[in-house]
This record gives sequence, C-alpha cells and structure tokens, in this order.
Amino acid sequence: MSDLAQNTLDGLFAGSSYALLALGFTLIFGVLRRVNLSFGPAIMLGCYAATWTQLNFGAGLLLLAAVAILGSVLAGAYVERLCFAPHRRGSAIAAMVASFALWMQLEELATLALPRHIYDFPPLYAGAPLEFGGLSLRVESLVMLAAAGAACALLWWILRRTRFGIAVRAVIDQPEAAQLAGISVPRTFFATFALASAIGGLAGFLISASYEQVTPMLGMWSTLKGLLAMMLGGLGSLPGAVLGGLALGLLEAHSQWFLGPQARDLIAYALLFVLLAARVPWMTTRSAS
Amino acid sequence: MDDYAIGVLTNIGLVSFLALSAYLLLIAGEMSFGQQAFFGVGAYAGGILTAMYGWPLPLAAAAAMALGALAQFLLGLPTLRLKGLYFAMATLAAAEMMRILFELFHFQRLIEGETVGPDGTQGFRGIRWVFERGVEPIEYLGIVYALLALALAAFLFLERSRLGATLRGVGEDPELAAALGVDIDRLKLGVAAAAGALAALGGVLFAHHNTYIEPRNFDIMLGVHSLAYALIGGLGTALGPLLGVVLDIGALEGSRVFQGYRMIVFGGLVALLLVWRPRGLLDERTVQWVKQRFS
Repeated sequence: MSDLAQNTLDGLFAGSSYALLALGFTLIFGVLRRVNLSFGPAIMLGCYAATWTQLNFGAGLLLLAAVAILGSVLAGAYVERLCFAPHRRGSAIAAMVASFALWMQLEELATLALPRHIYDFPPLYAGAPLEFGGLSLRVESLVMLAAAGAACALLWWILRRTRFGIAVRAVIDQPEAAQLAGISVPRTFFATFALASAIGGLAGFLISASYEQVTPMLGMWSTLKGLLAMMLGGLGSLPGAVLGGLALGLLEAHSQWFLGPQARDLIAYALLFVLLAARVPWMTTRSAS
Repeated sequence: MDDYAIGVLTNIGLVSFLALSAYLLLIAGEMSFGQQAFFGVGAYAGGILTAMYGWPLPLAAAAAMALGALAQFLLGLPTLRLKGLYFAMATLAAAEMMRILFELFHFQRLIEGETVGPDGTQGFRGIRWVFERGVEPIEYLGIVYALLALALAAFLFLERSRLGATLRGVGEDPELAAALGVDIDRLKLGVAAAAGALAALGGVLFAHHNTYIEPRNFDIMLGVHSLAYALIGGLGTALGPLLGVVLDIGALEGSRVFQGYRMIVFGGLVALLLVWRPRGLLDERTVQWVKQRFS
C-alpha cells in the first residue's frame, strides 16, 4: 500500500514535468497547427547554455534559470523563423521535417560546446526529502507541480484576459478575419512560439536541476515526452496537456514498479496507440484553450 | 574502389529502401514515423532464418518481405483512417513498441557449439550467410543495387500506370477520389503492405551486410531520417528519395569535409531547401517540366 502511494508521488513528479513540456507543445500546436519536433532540442540548447554558464562563471540558480529560458526562447525563435514562418500557409509536413533538420543542428551545436556524455547541474534543492508516514516527497516535486499549475493558470489568464490572448484566439478561430481586424498573424505566431519556448525552457531548467544533470538525450526525451503527453491529453488543450502529463507520469511510475523500465515505455506507447486507434473523442477535438 | 567507398555506397542503397517505403506512403497522403519498425522486422526475420535455420538468403528475404507486408497491413487496419498527425503518432507508437519488443526478444539456439540468435539489448550477432559464402563486398553492393533498380523500375512503372495516378489522386484529395469511386481503404492497405515489404527487404539486406543488429538500430531517428530523405529529394518521382539519401550519406559523409559540423551544415541546408521547395528538389512540377522538355 505504501509502495502504491510512494509510486503515485513519484509519478506526480515526473508527470508534472511532462505536463510543463506538453503545455509548450500544445500551445504551438493549438495556434500554428504544426508540430515542432525541435521543441525539445531548443530546450536542450537552453539547458546546455545554462550548464556552460555554470561551468565558466559558477552562476547561481536564478541566473541559470534565466539563461536556460533565454537560450530556449532564442533557439525557439530561430526555429520559428526558419521552419514555421515560411510554411505558415503551406505544407505541415515540410514544416515538421524542417524542424527535424534543425533538431539535428541544435543537438550538434550543444554537444560541440559541451561534448561529454553527462554534466552536473546544480541541485534545485540541496536538503533531504520531506518524510511523512513512511513516504518521502522530494521538494523538487512540489516545485515542479506548482510550476505546471502556475504555467497552466498563467497561460489561461493570458489567453482569456489580455489583448495578446484575444489576438491569439482570434487567429486560431478566424485567421483571415483577424488579419482584417488589424491583428498581425505572423507576429502572433512568433509571440506564441516565444511564449511556448519560455515554458519549455523553464521545464528544462527544473528537470535538469531536479535530476542534477544534463545529457545529450535531453532534446529527444523532451520532444517525445511532451508529444506523448500532449497527444494523451488532446491536441491544443491546456488542461488536457496538464492531465495528459500527469496521467503519463503516473502510468509510468506504476508500470515501472510492477513490470520494469522496458514495460514502462511499452505500456505508455501501447496506451497511446490504442487510444488513437479507438479515436477517443477528447483526442480528436482540437480546441485551443 | 576502396572499402570505405563500397561501405558508403552500400549504406546509401540500404537506406534507400526505407526512404522509398516512406515515399510510397507520402504520395498516398500518409506520413509515417514508423517505417524503421518494418526495416527491423525484416532484419530480425531474415537474420533468424539464415543464421538459425540455415535458409538461403533469397528465400529468407522473400519470407521477411512477406512478414513486413503482413505487419504493416495489420497495423494499417486500425490506423490508416487516422488523419495526418494522428496517423504519424500511431506509427511512431507502434514502431517504438516494436523496438522495445526487440529489446525483450531472447531467442537463441546452439549452432555448431555457438549460441546464435537475438539476445535482447545485447543484439543479434553472427548473421554471416553472405560472409560465409565468400560474397565480396563489391558483389554484395551489386546485389543491393540490382534489387534497388528492380524496386525503382516497379515505381517508375507504377507512376506511369492508372494505379499510380489514382494513388496520387488519393494523396492529394481523398474526398474527390472517394467521390470518383476509388476504394480508399483497400488502396491504402495495399500501399501499406507494399511499403512494409520494401522496408523489410532493406532490413534483410542491412542485417546481412552488418552481420550484427541491435534494437537501437531501429529507433525513431532512422524513421524520421527516411521521411526527411523522401521529402528533401522530392515527391515528384521515386528518384527523389534516392537523391535525398545520396545528398545526406553520400555528399556529406563521403566527402568528410564537414567532420564534426555535418549536422549543423546539413540541418540548416535542409531547412532552407524546404523554404524554397516544400515538396523537395524533384517535386511534381519539376518532374512535369523535365518530362515536357524531353518527350
């Protein structure tokens, strides 16, 4: 019983990191109707920039977070300009393949700068985990969960209550009408991309600081987990992204405990496959907020 | 030709089967992230049949192709009606499941005092049918390209046929095609089976070229690369995917000029190329233009 509870706590931690990644992913998909395979690698570049800063200047955590977010936003902006702005009205496949090409580029750039297989990242919280009733809860979990909740709430507020958010929703529903009303569609796309990349950068920083390391796998890992969580929760839905992320985290924690690490991934992919094949309703609706 | 050049050329040939497989689905309007799974099915099935049961390679290749076709046909039944990204994600999920199943797959036999067979993440060594028969690398290269030429001939024949036109019609406008009486489900299942067989053939040849395979060979990177090759080279003709493979593996790996910076150069070039030509170098319009000039 306590194993079950402990696994649930661990699953919530992993799940909230997936939720953050899925929020960034789903924001881009909801607005642009395009999949950005370079989402993870852009995050990885940000985290590598932070690691590089740490190695050379020994900066504090807050500064590292800023570097990771800024790095991700810059890399994301570059991806948007080269892969998504030119294909705004054109081919979704071309945009996706272009973003894959830049994935290769960003990953090589990061590993050229820091070629080792693993680098230490300063811990988010150096103290011991909280203990209660035989269960241990990492403080990092609470921070991650809070960050996912806050990011979801902030995005919801931005989309509902700000001029920018109204512009975004107008562009989603009626791009032509929005353009006629004086909203710049390209600029809205770019800003959405930057916002999503900032969330991704925050996710990357929290993940690196929780696991206290960065590896070249971070890019692919972030893209796959974010994509999986987004699909599970329903494309383009913010609460869906959070729920999808948490569900994925819980599923992984429990299946790993009972069946081992290979079964963990197998079950996650099997679930996605079955849900897609069954065309469950929430996965085929494409709301934006 | 030195061994290095032969190796690079053989690799170009092997990956071309996979790129052609992705291309076939693309012109029918489906984007697959999972063709590497059938490449893997072919590699494992072919390797098991020759190395563990002593089948001759041609027979093993035929059986592997049948298995690849069957696998993608069965996978197509619940997924081919999914649109765009949903289909892509379903194929990705299936291919990753397949890769994990390869990791869990232990099936070994004692053959002449040696354990042979897939050993999970440790891979599958000793696929030596080609090696044991003294086939020279240059001869194997010839075999690979002869088969590739056959596949290409089949494609060029298809493109000129009524079936090829129907296929492109379904890819471009499925509603219109359905309204004209095309049985889209049946057509796409056929395409899926053919794509699975092509990928499996590439896999068999890959396994017997390397003599060693492991689950990692068949990860998502291979699948997305083959998709990218098809799109870079162009969707106008079956020569397109080949051009994509040659550009990546041939020009960059072969020349070794950009050692260490290869993906930085290539990645940027591909993104720029797609801005200029969203359907690849040899896109439909270019192919049309060439046909008109030279016919």
